[in-house]
Amino acid sequence: MATLAPPSPHDAPHRPNIAAAGQPLPAIRDYEQVDREILATLRPTKGWFALLLVAVACLGLGIAAWMYQIQQGLGVAGYNPPVMWGVYIITFVFWIGIGHAGTLISAILFLFRAGFRTTIYRCAEAMTVFAVMTAGLFPILHLGRPWKFFWLVPYPNWRFIWPQFKSPLVWDVFAISTYLTISATFLFIGLIPDIATLRDRERNPVKKRILSALSFGWRNSEREWRHFARAYLFLAAFSTPLVLSVHSVVSFDFAMSLVPGWHTTIFAPYFVAGAIFSGMGMVFTIIIPIRKFFRLEHYVTLNVMDAGAKLTLFTSLVVGCAYLVEFFIAWYGAVPVEQDYFWNRLFGQWWWAAWIMLTCNMILPLSLFSQRLRRNPAWLWILSLFINLGMWFERFVIIVPGLSHEYEPWQWSGYIPTWVDYSILLGSFGWFFMWFLLFIKNLPVVAITEVKEIVPPKVRAGHRHGGGH
Amino acid sequence: MMQGMLGAFREIDAAVAAIEDLKERKVGAITVFTPAPRHEFEHALKPPRSPVRRYTLIGALSGAVFGYWIAIWASESWPLVVGGKAVSTWVPYTIFSFELMVLIGGLSTVAGFFIHARIPRVTMTVGYDPRFSAGHYGVWVQCAPEKLRDAEAILRRYGAEEVRGAE
Repeated sequence: MATLAPPSPHDAPHRPNIAAAGQPLPAIRDYEQVDREILATLRPTKGWFALLLVAVACLGLGIAAWMYQIQQGLGVAGYNPPVMWGVYIITFVFWIGIGHAGTLISAILFLFRAGFRTTIYRCAEAMTVFAVMTAGLFPILHLGRPWKFFWLVPYPNWRFIWPQFKSPLVWDVFAISTYLTISATFLFIGLIPDIATLRDRERNPVKKRILSALSFGWRNSEREWRHFARAYLFLAAFSTPLVLSVHSVVSFDFAMSLVPGWHTTIFAPYFVAGAIFSGMGMVFTIIIPIRKFFRLEHYVTLNVMDAGAKLTLFTSLVVGCAYLVEFFIAWYGAVPVEQDYFWNRLFGQWWWAAWIMLTCNMILPLSLFSQRLRRNPAWLWILSLFINLGMWFERFVIIVPGLSHEYEPWQWSGYIPTWVDYSILLGSFGWFFMWFLLFIKNLPVVAITEVKEIVPPKVRAGHRHGGGH
Repeated sequence: MMQGMLGAFREIDAAVAAIEDLKERKVGAITVFTPAPRHEFEHALKPPRSPVRRYTLIGALSGAVFGYWIAIWASESWPLVVGGKAVSTWVPYTIFSFELMVLIGGLSTVAGFFIHARIPRVTMTVGYDPRFSAGHYGVWVQCAPEKLRDAEAILRRYGAEEVRGAE
């Protein structure tokens, strides 16, 4: 971190910065500049320490609330029959969804050779891993006896107790643990060459030794690159269907039940589109401050922001379409309980939550039809906060109104989260941002190697050479 | 005893030209170090295709089979009988099969990559230089002592910034 070489005094703003077909990053001239500028982001600043402190404080509050809940029981979390799923499951689905855009950017766009991913995928991929790490805590937090969570894993035991393989909750365990393992592996494999670059620039002998171990003795040989490229391709190919499957499986937690509003066949694609949309929101929330404070405007260019905004707009339209289809199904299906549920959602007890969702997820993103706003980082950042809010409320609107308005009148109820719920929700943000802040000051936030791939290499005078391959 | 000669190049086309000449004259085994993967080197060296894909295939198939097997075996051994319904059902068990296909296939891919890239490596080899993760390209020629002069001459002819011998 602090022992890396200081940045060059020549690091002035880079102009012009307009991409062309053969030169996606025109302000980046050579490999040394890439190393110098990206490694400069690793020097910790006062602002970074302050943010880390805030994140750890939020996490501490969440841990304290959880300890209190373990001592007092789940009742302190605001659960009352029939609403036994609330903030924890909402937040679980929210964080799982956040991870999806990271995999979309790092894996799916890699397979499609979408050039705009190059400078943002590392951030997005790290976001995926930390978001899934955060999401994975919530089913455990939601248990009365959280220390028994491993009973969901099919391990040989003397009690001959095995999980119910037909239960969506067990599908979740397999899907999420696979997702976390493959995402973390994908992130780490991509980091190996960059860690080797850090190792070669590091002056502190202890850190150099740690980086040497983490880079596995990588030495940039053609042989290593050849097998690396193949392995990276296949990991991307595996991550692509995985990202579609994970949120589909999460949606089955709801769709396999008979709760009104949940028992519907559109949940899998609806959840996947929503997940990518919410993840794009979080990508913007994270990448825009990083771009500004690390002075990476010539890496994360306005063209990159524009392309990401188009993806956000597209997924917003898909999600909006799914909202409308839900209402159509309720009307066309002519099941009174379903119709009551949707009326209650939009104009009854939960109107405020539904309208927050619709405003943030359907109406505000329509602004991205304007190219001027797509290329305005300040607006994109503000919009991303609304998207995060709207997508949390989407899960609220799915879960709480369904459980609070089932078939029998005794099942018609309300739900009020308590300070324990809010503290644990805040703690989850503290946990996520703590990991993310530690990541951005210890490992390159932009993939050094992939940027070098698109920077034209040096050639002898009089020779011509194209850009990236 | 095999020795070698290392050339450090600033320009990619110079390094590629040196490699082609070294190959044509059969001076010795060539290892290239490059800060980023470049197809120019692949074209010059013409290496065999990476066999990592075989690990992926075998791992994925094993995972898919294991996923079905664990679910069916557990259900048949400790059945949860629901009237009129099969104890083992392939539709939900496809989820386990798929997840384990991805998990074991992905981890096998990494294993294949490690085996064939020969990492983890405890020490750097003689040919490596930290400049090769920055802006330089390294061409390391491992050859018999009597061919060292030829290797050095070729590397210098194509404009290597630095040429040094090692063993």
